[in-house]
Amino acid sequence: MTITIGLPSKGRMKEDSSAILARAGFSVIAVGNDRSYRGRVEGRDDIEIAFLSASEISREIANGTVDFGVTGEDLVREGLAEADARVEFCARLGFGHADVVVAVPEIWLDVDTMADLGDVAADFRARHGRRLTIATKYWRLTQQFFSGNHGIQLYRIVESLGATEGAPASGSADIIVDITSTGSTLVANHLKILSDGVILKSEACLVRARKPEHEGNPVVAEIIDAVRGVL
Amino acid sequence: MPLINLPAFAPDLISDLEALGTERVDTPVIQPAEPFLDMAGEDLRRRIFMTESETGKSLCLRPEFTIPVCLRHIETATGTPRRYAYLGEVFRQRREGSNEFYQAGIEDLGEPDVARADARAVSDAIAVLANRLPGVSLSVVLGDQSVFEAVVAACGLPAGWQKRLVHAFGNQTQLQRLMDTLSNPAPSGVFGPEVERLAILGKLDDETTLIAHIDETMKATGYSTNASRSPADIARRLREKMELANTRLDERTLALLREFLALELSLADAPQALAAFAQKAGLSLGEALTRFESRVAALREAGMHPSAVTYRAAFGRPLDYYTGLVFEITPEGDPLVLAGGGRFDRLLTLLGAKERIPAVGFSLWLDRIASVKEAAA
Repeated sequence: MTITIGLPSKGRMKEDSSAILARAGFSVIAVGNDRSYRGRVEGRDDIEIAFLSASEISREIANGTVDFGVTGEDLVREGLAEADARVEFCARLGFGHADVVVAVPEIWLDVDTMADLGDVAADFRARHGRRLTIATKYWRLTQQFFSGNHGIQLYRIVESLGATEGAPASGSADIIVDITSTGSTLVANHLKILSDGVILKSEACLVRARKPEHEGNPVVAEIIDAVRGVL
Repeated sequence: MPLINLPAFAPDLISDLEALGTERVDTPVIQPAEPFLDMAGEDLRRRIFMTESETGKSLCLRPEFTIPVCLRHIETATGTPRRYAYLGEVFRQRREGSNEFYQAGIEDLGEPDVARADARAVSDAIAVLANRLPGVSLSVVLGDQSVFEAVVAACGLPAGWQKRLVHAFGNQTQLQRLMDTLSNPAPSGVFGPEVERLAILGKLDDETTLIAHIDETMKATGYSTNASRSPADIARRLREKMELANTRLDERTLALLREFLALELSLADAPQALAAFAQKAGLSLGEALTRFESRVAALREAGMHPSAVTYRAAFGRPLDYYTGLVFEITPEGDPLVLAGGGRFDRLLTLLGAKERIPAVGFSLWLDRIASVKEAAA
């Protein structure tokens, strides 16, 4: 069988993941021109490359269209219910670092922990006539962290697909759950990360779809070992 | 919609509910999703079937009946007291069992005699189940959040802690974790660098200075115009938090709370046991205890024997509109919940009712009743 690896189709993530694969001995070349969305590995006709948008990669791994993918852990954990049962995180690749965090307005001097936030959320409706709102694109991670880890149920999510950091100042939400790598955008928007508010320390990972036919497949084992070997 | 899975006993159940003097209502299967998410929280989103209207309105398939029945009551503005009965399909994403199944139940809205209404809900649920499951012994477990609230208040805990504890009531793990944290609070660093800086500047010394500082910062950073939490809100809670920083839940109170939460005994003995607990602990549980006693008396009047019911002090539902009684009925020696109910005095005002309407109700899981019936046959 041919093993398919899904790689990010553009930007830094594309370059970085191709570079790691090259170091591991798999030189990725685009089929046709370099804008093509299909690729192959030099000298290997048992491996195929599919260039996909970062958010599609987790979905394609989940439904088994690709065997491996390089993508952010945040996207996998957000995109899939019970991610660990469906995919294996084979290697953390050391780039694409981003933390998914809970951030509140800096001026909420009384809120430094999730427990503080829980108190504020519990009272919110009585004081303001509505639930506390969270702007985020990370529905699943937010729910798991808030209710699973901290027992906070009383909040509403406002979907935000961009410029999430601006939501508290503009009044479209009270707080945010978003990714940050340096924290500078948060600071610029007068937001602070709660001291126990890091939901996930994400980075690019080599992710494998858990498929029964991978069992005993030498190419699958070779790819994992080779990538781990160059980290 | 084809009526799949409708148990054969449904017509009999409907006549039972009618015989209890209720008014049968139906509600649309497609409901606005907002009230459900607002009342139960975002967690529900994963467990209901949601869709969107062409205009972007969030809709869902009816996941339960209480909210739709209450909304209907508010819309039709038909005065109280009313006792509504329903039987229909509900839809939930479940890992096990079918995603669509039938529920039936009663919502008793606006009955001023709370003890009587509570007792009636429990005894009606038992009566309806007993009619459908002759020969099956049933267990009833009963809890009461207002007793826990009274215990926490009588312990003289700070208001902020009382709220946290009451909020976690019904979720054992959460409550346990919270009690551990309160008895052994994190030593430092819970205020953050900005608060420490303000403390050094002396801006925390009195509330007016603090409010003025917060207000100024909010204006300077563009947070004032749309702010949900006002400078006064933030200042008040910060000072509350500072006052609590050096307090901890003492050994004695912790032991008392644990002792209370471990209470589990026959409801017939519960009023006496609660009174004894209160006396030994030197706590005055006042009205909560009186209300508890009148409910037990009302159950006797309704022809039930309270020794058939187990009172479990820690039993509750961690939803903020449940206010007092909660109960569950299972076959004896089996965890399968056939009926669940409780008092939700806060729900109708949260849903937009103008005046406060006390409410109690229960719902029956028809698919589970059918499976028990089959196993017993």
